[in-house]
Amino acid sequence: MVRKRTIAIHAILMVFVVWTLIPFLFVINNSFRTTSELERSFFGLPKSLGRMATFTLYELTGKSDKIVIRTEVEGDNDWGSGGQTEMKTLEYGDSMRLLWQDLTSGYRLSWKDLRPYTLNTFFVCFITVCGVICLGSISAYIFSRYKFPGRSFLFVCVLSVMMIPQVLTLVPSFLLVKKMNLLNSYWVLILPYVAGGQIFAIFLFKSFFDGLPQDLFDAAKIDGAGHFRLYWNVVLPLSKPIISVVAILNVLGTWNNFLWPFVTNTDPKYHVVASGVYVIGKVLEGTDTVTNLPAMYAAYVLSSIPLLILFVYATKPFIQGVSAGAFKA
Amino acid sequence: MGRAKLFGAGRYISCYLLLLPTYVLVSVFSFVPFIWAFSKSFYRYEVGGESEFIGFANYLEYFSDPTFGPSFYHMGFLTAFAVVVGIVVPLIVAKLIFSLRSEKLKHIYRLLFLAPIVVPRVAVLMIWRFMIYDDGGMINEFLRVLRLGEMATGWLFNPTTALWAVAFIGFPFASGIHILIFYAGLCNIPESVHEAALLDGATGARKFLTVDVPLVLSQIKLLVILTIISWVQGFEWILIVTQGFPGYKTMVPGLWMYYNAFSFQRMGYACSIGVILFLVILVLTVLNLRYFKSAESVQGVG
Repeated sequence: MVRKRTIAIHAILMVFVVWTLIPFLFVINNSFRTTSELERSFFGLPKSLGRMATFTLYELTGKSDKIVIRTEVEGDNDWGSGGQTEMKTLEYGDSMRLLWQDLTSGYRLSWKDLRPYTLNTFFVCFITVCGVICLGSISAYIFSRYKFPGRSFLFVCVLSVMMIPQVLTLVPSFLLVKKMNLLNSYWVLILPYVAGGQIFAIFLFKSFFDGLPQDLFDAAKIDGAGHFRLYWNVVLPLSKPIISVVAILNVLGTWNNFLWPFVTNTDPKYHVVASGVYVIGKVLEGTDTVTNLPAMYAAYVLSSIPLLILFVYATKPFIQGVSAGAFKA
Repeated sequence: MGRAKLFGAGRYISCYLLLLPTYVLVSVFSFVPFIWAFSKSFYRYEVGGESEFIGFANYLEYFSDPTFGPSFYHMGFLTAFAVVVGIVVPLIVAKLIFSLRSEKLKHIYRLLFLAPIVVPRVAVLMIWRFMIYDDGGMINEFLRVLRLGEMATGWLFNPTTALWAVAFIGFPFASGIHILIFYAGLCNIPESVHEAALLDGATGARKFLTVDVPLVLSQIKLLVILTIISWVQGFEWILIVTQGFPGYKTMVPGLWMYYNAFSFQRMGYACSIGVILFLVILVLTVLNLRYFKSAESVQGVG
């Protein structure tokens, strides 16, 4: 009875998992196919992969004369002689190189565009996360450990920012950065990201610092630690879990933010991945969509890899942070 | 005594100095735009032109704008849809994962459902637009395989299907952080509650509805608020997927604000739409908090 129930649960969950992941599997699969393959049928495995396997088999069984590749005849292409093809017998190594080029053509094409965007995003992410952790932890530490006039008023001021929706401030913020001559630069991204990101960081840091035992601070003071040393040598090393949660949230937010960079940085030099992926899609749509579909799929795969690496290393603290109740109304 | 006082004042000053960068950034990038949004909404303000005070004219113009009615209807529809599926599906999935025995499998399922967050949101939307809903996309090709080719349509370009197509982006709505949040909520239910429910003979769906759901109400409340806020202001989805087309069939107020600001250069008018959306969010949040609070206190009495 219990066993039957468990199997049923697994079945339902597997349906959900498969259904959730299927679009992404298709993206990965189709990014390795060529345009003509995609044109012929949406479904199917990458042809070059299959032929690589067959040719390797031929090579190993000594039937290397069967390694034949159909190539398009060069020249006279303006009359649309695309149908003209020629069968060519090739060496094993050459055939592999050709097939490998087919397999990765989408990736090579999209990486050329995506590489500068990725570097921009890394740079912006890095500075933003450093700024948020630095400002957020210092402010939260002061709110948590020191008493001064106007403390609660200032704290409420900061928290009230969380209630201001982005849709309201989008247009005036744009006018403001335009007036400050910040359009098309890294600062137009970094400064607002730090300004916005530190709010939630202060909130998370403060509740963490509030929970640290007073004895710890008394002991450090008796040992003669000053204000700065207390923060730097005692509090920060203890805050590693909360620092990683703040960092992950900010990397996710920065990586996914599309609208602000799209509106403020129209110069391709300063595109980030989110706006860049959109622009790549737009460009392809404007021209001949069909010729570049694999490149578009490859761009989506490539844009996911950095977060995938982060995911592998950071899921554990993140799940723990969420489970510990960081998100509760 | 005097020295101590001086020292105290000095310490206050260093506190304020250390808080200064935070407040400079917050003021410049949050409070100033916030106040500007309100004041500019009373001006005719076009980029490069003179700004002129026109009172409530922007607001009145928006209320008689042809996009006003449809776009608020679309926004309401999409928000309601997202709230329902964004609560129901993740809660059920979280409950299913929670009721498994093996800790290892629980962990693997949570990872699998969390994994799609590595794909940038823009990429997800582009995938839905170009790979799933497109003319030669996944749905249509699948229909053709099933010999149902005549049902194939440009889902996002067909006026009758466009809005539903936008709503169904992300189907089956089981990925992401919602499951983790509900799962954490279910973990926090004390063991004694489960035992008491068992003694009272509550099992299966009945236990789920009468015991589990009320006890994760605070998580539901949080996610309802977050979903409402993100859909009332979240027009990037529509901008990326349909741009409000066909006709105005998928237009939402936020997107109309965007067009007015960045395509028509009518900043004042755009600000007034932003203010209206802000008020909508404010009212919905307050209502939500109040409604759920009363629901919780009723439950506390019972």
